Amino acid sequence: MTRLNRRHLLLGGLATAGSAAGLLLFSRNGATAQDLTREDVLFDPDNPELGNPEGDVTLVEFFDYQCPYCKANHPILTDVVAADGNIRLVMKDWPIFGAPSVRAAQLALGAASLDAYETANATLMATEGRLDDALIDEALEDAGLDVADLQAAYQNDRNKWDGLIARNGRQASILGLRGTPAFIVGTALYPGAMDGEALREAIEMARS
Amino acid sequence: MKRRAPYSSLYRHAIGEAFRTLAMLLLLTGVAAAQETVFAQGEPMDPREAFELTVTAPPEGGRLLRWKIAEGYYLYRDYLSAKTADGASLPLETDQGVAKEDPTFGTVEVYYDSAEARMPAAAGPVQVTYQGCQEDGICYPPVTEELPALSQASSWSATNAPAGEPPVGGDASAPPAEPGEADAETVKAGTFTLADDAGMLGGLRDRGGATRVLLGFFGFGLLLAFTPCVLPMFPILAGLLAGQGEGMGARRGFALSAVYVVAMASALSLLGIVAAWSGQNLQIVLQSPWAVGAVAVIFVALALSMFGLYDLRLPEAWNASLSGAGSGRRGTFGGAAVLGFTSALIMGPCVTAPLAGALLYIAQTGDVALGAGALFALGLGQGVPLLAMGAFGARVLPRAGAWMDRVKLVFGFAFLAMAAWLAGRIVPPAAGLALWAALLVLAGVFAGGLDRLDAASGAGARMRKAAGLVALLSAALLGLGAASGGDDPLRPLAGLRVPAGGSAEAGQTELVFTTVTTVPELEAVLGGSDAPTMIYFTADWCVTCRVIERRVWSDRGVQEALSGMTVIAADLSDFDAGSQNLLDQLNSVGPPTMIFLDARGREAAGTRLVGEPGPEDVIASVRAVR
Repeated sequence: MTRLNRRHLLLGGLATAGSAAGLLLFSRNGATAQDLTREDVLFDPDNPELGNPEGDVTLVEFFDYQCPYCKANHPILTDVVAADGNIRLVMKDWPIFGAPSVRAAQLALGAASLDAYETANATLMATEGRLDDALIDEALEDAGLDVADLQAAYQNDRNKWDGLIARNGRQASILGLRGTPAFIVGTALYPGAMDGEALREAIEMARS
Repeated sequence: MKRRAPYSSLYRHAIGEAFRTLAMLLLLTGVAAAQETVFAQGEPMDPREAFELTVTAPPEGGRLLRWKIAEGYYLYRDYLSAKTADGASLPLETDQGVAKEDPTFGTVEVYYDSAEARMPAAAGPVQVTYQGCQEDGICYPPVTEELPALSQASSWSATNAPAGEPPVGGDASAPPAEPGEADAETVKAGTFTLADDAGMLGGLRDRGGATRVLLGFFGFGLLLAFTPCVLPMFPILAGLLAGQGEGMGARRGFALSAVYVVAMASALSLLGIVAAWSGQNLQIVLQSPWAVGAVAVIFVALALSMFGLYDLRLPEAWNASLSGAGSGRRGTFGGAAVLGFTSALIMGPCVTAPLAGALLYIAQTGDVALGAGALFALGLGQGVPLLAMGAFGARVLPRAGAWMDRVKLVFGFAFLAMAAWLAGRIVPPAAGLALWAALLVLAGVFAGGLDRLDAASGAGARMRKAAGLVALLSAALLGLGAASGGDDPLRPLAGLRVPAGGSAEAGQTELVFTTVTTVPELEAVLGGSDAPTMIYFTADWCVTCRVIERRVWSDRGVQEALSGMTVIAADLSDFDAGSQNLLDQLNSVGPPTMIFLDARGREAAGTRLVGEPGPEDVIASVRAVR
């Protein structure tokens, strides 16, 4: 754990230094990056919000509904966010595990139009194993959601949701993210899975 | 020869920039003192460095992909894939991975340290995609590498042989088809080693469970619905529906078709059960003169009842018993079931890739339920157009009257043609030709070829007379052919033609197959040759084989590709124990199947062709073994 802590300390210090300049500091490479602002990444108006929407720290996770480490650590993440009470959590869909991941993301975003994003997201993150369409549908139905409604809601706002997913992928690429999960806490970037301690430290850094 | 796959330099550039920026900030804040190595340890590596891909061209053809996997990283077996530039997916032969139990990801097969995949030869550049994770860290998006086209020379030049290649002629005692050992084995002349390709059913199941398998096979069935395997079923079902006569609505048409289709699907799943029980493909076993003859008689009976109801005026008692088989009111559903069942087993005994895949899956795993279920789904898929025809076709049929009588007559002849076609499999060829001649005489007379026209005759009557005369003339040609020893209904007079020694024929290179019917014969042929070999399973009764003969073996490109190779036809027409042994030894379920062996008698992975391939598939497979 010492190694990890040192890394986080390091990035925490970095975050303090970089907070004024925002995320642009991380991404000064090439023309596309110039278009990307801190607002774009942390406050994408289309992305559903979890936790406390008025929270003083924004925690972003780039994730996939089939990524093992995203899912394994998701309960820890939600616990930390709930215990803190002042964190705005933004789950950014970045489907990298093929068609089932895309479908899961679409249905969850469709749920956002029906005010059921939190349930859909939590349900899908709690699924076990690799997903296929049948498993996704079953899990959502078991959680009391109507897959046909979710699908219709997604279709209704298809441009908006497809645009959001595409934007997330573009941001991940500009930020140089190598995969899922990747976290942004405040303005610091943390690639890879984070345990509770690491999360709390990162949040503390963001506040300091 | 080794090739490094090109990096996506843009991606690397972006990441490099990002980290340089980070490093600069570290220096600015002063926290970074002497800690630059921290990044190297904890930061996830570039996926192309974590999974270092090298590509070699082994002497047996194709490409060998090797990943060197950094410590703390793993690659998913299921996410390895390859495709050609035009998007066709290429089968990869991979070794068993390590089962990784993950509470949130189930059991997945992964590779640590290194991974290998063997890819069949493919023309042009190919794209390889792989995906993996850093242990307890992050999972990478799929990485796709473009591999340049493999020049023919590099894939078979002797200088490219790996240093550790064992000498030819060593221990060859290993039996064929040992999974995964094909590469390491040495093979002596006259024997063969089969590739261990993951079956399509197992692959589907691994990816998506039983639902995926059933849906997949239903889809395969749909794709096969308009192939020669299913085509004979259209006139059979149409005849069945026409025999219903007036007053049949869409609902009854659909119900009858549904019974027919379910019976057909049941017959297919029965194939799976019998294969599990006896290890034999029932379709092929049923190609006995007895079974084929019995079905031919059924069709004659059906045809007679089609005629008999109005024209032949059979005794009432005959009529009642015959119509029970499918064309009367009573027992029609039973008749549809019998017809559907026999159609699938005997009329179109087609070995298609999905059928072969399911039978082999059952043979290898003993999982009868899933295999039979998959075959049932395959049958249902094949039946979808039949159902549509039943539901909508019934409405098109005329209600009653003279028209209806003619339609019945036409289907009566269709049934007789089925009977003649079936009988042609079991009687001497010339007799088969004579049967066709007789049928055409009958058709010609019924069409009115011998009726008298007068000045007042309308166009319709004249057309019918003309058609009848054409049928009679054809009958005369066929009869002449039969009498002169011809055997092909499409070229009845071939027996009369003087063999042409001239130049016109010399330009036509015809493939010369060495025909074998047993394993010892096959081994004798293999032993006498040190060229690559193609083994083609065929049989007189194999409908698809005729299509292959017309479309594939006559193709100039295929002929050129196969020149210099030993081409063997494994003939299963007279199916006996020796034929079954041949099928078993080559791990095949029936014709048409093509197996490609390299010069050392080893089947190249991913080259086997089952069902009805196109010329380009054959050429691709040939390339892999040359």
